[in-house]
Amino acid sequence: MKKYLLSFALAFMSLTAFAQADYEKVMTEKIAKIETCKTAEDFQTLANDFQRIGSKESSKWLPPYYAAFSQIQKGRLMMRNGNMQGLDETADQADKYLASAQNLAGADNAEIHLLRKMASSLRMMVNPAQRYMTDGAKAVEEMGIAEKLDPANPRVALIKAEDTYFTPEQYGGSKTKGMEMFKEAVTKFNAYKPKTALDPNWGKSEAEYFLNMPGK
Amino acid sequence: MKTQGKKLLLLIAFLSFIIGYSQVKISGKVTFRGKGVNEINITLKDTYDGATTDAQGSFSFETSEKGSHILTFTHPKYQDVEKTITIDNQDVVMNAELKEQISEIDAVVVSAGSIEASDRKRATALLTPIDIYTTAGADGQISSALNYLPGVQKVGETEGLFIRGGTGTESKIFMDGSLINNYFSSSVPGIAGRDRFNTSLFKGNIFSSGGYSALYGQALSGALMLESVDLPDQSSYDLGISPIFLSVGFQKLGADKNHSFGGTLGYSLLSVMQKVFNFNTDFIDAPQGLNGDFNFRIKTKSGGFFKYYGMYDSNKMGVRTESLEPEYDFALIRLKGKNTYHNLSFKQKFGKYLLNAGTSYSYNQSDLNFSTETNDTESDKSKLLTDGNYINFKAVLERKINKISALRAGFELNNTNENLNFGEVQKNYKDLISSAFMETDLGFSNALSAKIGVRAENSSFLGKTNIAPRFALAYRLAKDWTTSFAYGWFYQNPESKYINGPADLDFQKSQHYIFQVQRAAEGRSLRFEAFYKKYDQLIKTFNITPDKEQNQQVQTALNNNGDGYAKGLELFWRDKKTFENIDYWVSYSFLDSKRDFINYPVSLKPNFASAHTLSVVAKRFIPEWKLGVNLSYTYAKGRPYYDIATKNENSSVINYVRNEGKLKDYNALNISFNYLPNLGKKDAKAFTVFVLSVSNVLGSKNVYGYNFSNDGSRSSSVVPPVNTFVFIGAFISFGVDRTQDAINNNL
Repeated sequence: MKKYLLSFALAFMSLTAFAQADYEKVMTEKIAKIETCKTAEDFQTLANDFQRIGSKESSKWLPPYYAAFSQIQKGRLMMRNGNMQGLDETADQADKYLASAQNLAGADNAEIHLLRKMASSLRMMVNPAQRYMTDGAKAVEEMGIAEKLDPANPRVALIKAEDTYFTPEQYGGSKTKGMEMFKEAVTKFNAYKPKTALDPNWGKSEAEYFLNMPGK
Repeated sequence: MKTQGKKLLLLIAFLSFIIGYSQVKISGKVTFRGKGVNEINITLKDTYDGATTDAQGSFSFETSEKGSHILTFTHPKYQDVEKTITIDNQDVVMNAELKEQISEIDAVVVSAGSIEASDRKRATALLTPIDIYTTAGADGQISSALNYLPGVQKVGETEGLFIRGGTGTESKIFMDGSLINNYFSSSVPGIAGRDRFNTSLFKGNIFSSGGYSALYGQALSGALMLESVDLPDQSSYDLGISPIFLSVGFQKLGADKNHSFGGTLGYSLLSVMQKVFNFNTDFIDAPQGLNGDFNFRIKTKSGGFFKYYGMYDSNKMGVRTESLEPEYDFALIRLKGKNTYHNLSFKQKFGKYLLNAGTSYSYNQSDLNFSTETNDTESDKSKLLTDGNYINFKAVLERKINKISALRAGFELNNTNENLNFGEVQKNYKDLISSAFMETDLGFSNALSAKIGVRAENSSFLGKTNIAPRFALAYRLAKDWTTSFAYGWFYQNPESKYINGPADLDFQKSQHYIFQVQRAAEGRSLRFEAFYKKYDQLIKTFNITPDKEQNQQVQTALNNNGDGYAKGLELFWRDKKTFENIDYWVSYSFLDSKRDFINYPVSLKPNFASAHTLSVVAKRFIPEWKLGVNLSYTYAKGRPYYDIATKNENSSVINYVRNEGKLKDYNALNISFNYLPNLGKKDAKAFTVFVLSVSNVLGSKNVYGYNFSNDGSRSSSVVPPVNTFVFIGAFISFGVDRTQDAINNNL
């Protein structure tokens, strides 16, 4: 009897091991897709994929994190195309995923706070005049938390650089200063080691894109 | 044991290998009302497998799962669908038809007759406080900025919102649900009073040019609902300096961010400007005013929110006009006004219920002194003293039903106690209007919703009760296009200034029919409204001239036999998208109206109704220069004017028109500049805005009406106090860096 029990236990262990391998495989595959997404639809599809993984792996924070990240990237694409009306929905979705990611990962995760900042910024863009004081302030707050939790985080540096780069000079922004900050971000990216292979590791190519822009 | 375990492991590995290579394709099409929908998330429950639909609604994915499974179809805009499928070795085709998820954001809102300017309805906001400040010619006043929207008539000589052929007193202004009595400062005939309330006190407003909610009453034409700001984001200090005024203010936010308090103090005096500009009006006492206000906000632990706002202001002016009477050279009027207003509101959620309660008290005193001047000698003064005490209480309980439906009910008490003193005449007017109301928002789907309401009022003065049903319907025609229709009855007591003798009076009544088509898309909105308004039971009056020494006639109510109508078409177009950094809007109103009311002997086109009104507002921000340039233009077709007198014939009073005519067309072009020198300066301690505004740049000589002598033989025109006015000022705030604010406003 004991023997059987043990073999059952073993069998279960190996099953879990398989599942674990599957999780890592599917996550690695989907994370790789982030780089290839070109349209808002692509990102929506990817968000759905992560959502699906998240609903099965309900104890892991990375699937909802990436689902939120895909939503935010979708929102940023929409914003660039001037589709401001859909931003609220996208940000709402992202925040929903971020809430479950934070439940699992804890409140001291800088990566989640950074995404919260990005979601708030998207929401503010719908009506900057009205929302600067609410969503704008929230974005600043979340950015502050992220920076405090993880000063070496290259993604925090990247988003700060972008904010500086896109703010016109008259308002305290600066293209040159932005470029400097992108350089710093790249340095941080080179020094940064993600905790696991699946942990957030995006943004380096974005920073390099800015640095390699022609005429700069 | 070891070997057994290994065997088992091998078996499992083998099985999973087999399974892994026997993939089954699951595909299908997802539709909503027969059309394919994209971005639907399809999941084979408890697996990683699934797909997202494409633009045609099609999906397909492969799975190695076997047996009975559940396939889910999810999307935030639709209700979740679950389907059971059995996976063998054949491919599975599974289609799904979705049902829409009814939600507050997507639901169509009844908007006939109303223009909402808060952020609650997200992108549909039309006129925000910042819009008001940057509208040239509005002087930062809410009521003036509304003149640039369709449906509001340009009437320069009297304060108030003249909406769709209604008089200025047919519109009421509310703060957090409570009525504001005497929203405008006391005025002398021919010179409109100003807004007493600071525009920046309000975070948003709903302006209704008809068909408004059953929660509000006592306005035949329209209502302006102002929503006061909540807790400030930070503590701050403000300073405003200009040759005509000085103001200081502060807002202090508690460290716990649960309470705040603040106040302002201001003084204004026009005399410096009088020396610089050529005024039409001869001010013997330059207009001057002193005002102060105080506010606090408290969030309670249980989630309640108290807001208090209290203000005091006093104003003074004296005007001398050339006399129309042969007996003397000049007529003089001196005004002293005092006003205080206090508003306390409370809001809290109790489970499914939301309670909104508010109470306000106001006291208004306006003393007018009339005299005449002959050969530089001033006669004795006759005094017209009026004061009023007003108490308002209102409570509304709201219950949400489903997602987009709600039921609201409540009651309101309005108590008025006014005294008038004029020589021998002593008048005391008392009225308590008690109202009860109920309203329901019914959302049938995201595309169809209705609002049904009823309001009942009892006036202790009239000794009568009314019941007013109201109804509105909204339907979404297409993605960006909505249409709505509103119908309702509206009652209003006769104005107390007409009640100067015994008469059996009743409520005045109007009925509104409003049809609207609206298109709201990214950065652009278009509205078209057609309306018909029918008036009944309007009061009829006759003139009495209480004092031969001055020509202020008093009208006295006789009965409610008046009636009238107003109908028209309105167009509104706002575009922030087409031209970079430019926001502009155009509004046009056509109005056809006739009324037999007050002292009109027959049905006449009212003297405050202009047939065509066109206004254009454009704002451009030039980031490189840190400069905002704002333009506005208004054209209004000439209004009619009347000189109406009363005579006694066979012991009955008869009103007749002695003189009448048509004013010349009104037009004015205004320009204003905002310069923000500290914009973008890092670590700026103070944030400054310099404002330069020129109203009526082209110097058009506009005429608002005519005054007639007691016998009707001589007349003089009523004109603005000044044709072209230049305002310069600086507004500085400390503590809060509003730089970002300014940038984002102009992005």
